[in-house]
Amino acid sequence: MRRLKEHSLGLFFGVLFVAALIGQAFAGWHAFNAQQAADGLGTLSLGRYLTSSDFAVDVSENWQSEYLQFLFYIAATVWLLQRGSPESKELDNAGLESDEAQKVGPYADERSPRWAAVGGIRTTILSWSLTLTMGTIFLLSWLAQSIAGQVARNEERLASLQDPIGWTDYVLSADFWSRTLQNWQSEFLAVGSMAVLAIYLRQRGSPESKPVGEAHSATGVEG
Amino acid sequence: MAVGTITGAVLGLAGCGMADDGSAADRASHFYAAVAAGDGATACADLAVDARETLAEQEGEPCPEAVLAQDLPAPSGAGTARTYGSMAQVQYRDETVFLSRFPDGWRVIAAGCPPVDGDQPHRCSVEVG
Repeated sequence: MRRLKEHSLGLFFGVLFVAALIGQAFAGWHAFNAQQAADGLGTLSLGRYLTSSDFAVDVSENWQSEYLQFLFYIAATVWLLQRGSPESKELDNAGLESDEAQKVGPYADERSPRWAAVGGIRTTILSWSLTLTMGTIFLLSWLAQSIAGQVARNEERLASLQDPIGWTDYVLSADFWSRTLQNWQSEFLAVGSMAVLAIYLRQRGSPESKPVGEAHSATGVEG
Repeated sequence: MAVGTITGAVLGLAGCGMADDGSAADRASHFYAAVAAGDGATACADLAVDARETLAEQEGEPCPEAVLAQDLPAPSGAGTARTYGSMAQVQYRDETVFLSRFPDGWRVIAAGCPPVDGDQPHRCSVEVG
């Protein structure tokens, strides 16, 4: 029970993710088949829909934008500051910080990850591992979106009796960039507004907020 | 693990453009062979239900007679099939046919489509809806 409580944040979002994905699968399947039937075209079983490009592009276009959002947020907050925001570092602390502050090399303690202490390429990899992983997932999701999106777009084109287009033409097309940018704008708005709103607004008990009584001008203080 | 899942999805999806070409091409060949043989009933059975009904309404006669009255070309060879999910296109030298995958297999949704320039949709003598 204690173990469950100590991992409740990850578990909560894991359960929400699976439930939402299942909901998306059923809603997307019904919407796809309704459109196909209205156009006099073949419908898909749920199994075929789940392996279809239509489902894959809808999933991957959202994944890529979420991982891009966190990639930018993790990397941008190294150097960029926001006075009064708990999302920002203290105003005199921009940059990669000293080895001592980051507990790497000779400053690693007995509880530090081994790669933090050994130095060289392994310490560099560990130092950037969060950004590298988020960036890799972003790029793979975006690639998946482009591949699935090309197939889905060509299904629509064939249904309209147009000739299909190649991958290169697709990634330069309005459809690809419309799907991409409509996701990016919402992510950038959400993360930017959170950094700014958290200057003046509070959520008692949340580490994403300053303590309720903390000054609006206090920067880099989390509750 | 997430990286592996996404990589698998990308590799899986990469095959979507190529799968089942043979089946769609076979259905198209079967359709044109029936038309060439004057077997309207068999040709109509290769059409999607909506295409069959649209053709009969448009021509004011049953599908087997109506499809033979379309003066459809008799393309030679297997043609070049391209499949994207539940849709396929088979291109011959001067003719293009479009197919959709139904639960009981590929069916023709448009035939008698001459070549077009650029992004224009084909204008076909047999079409759904």
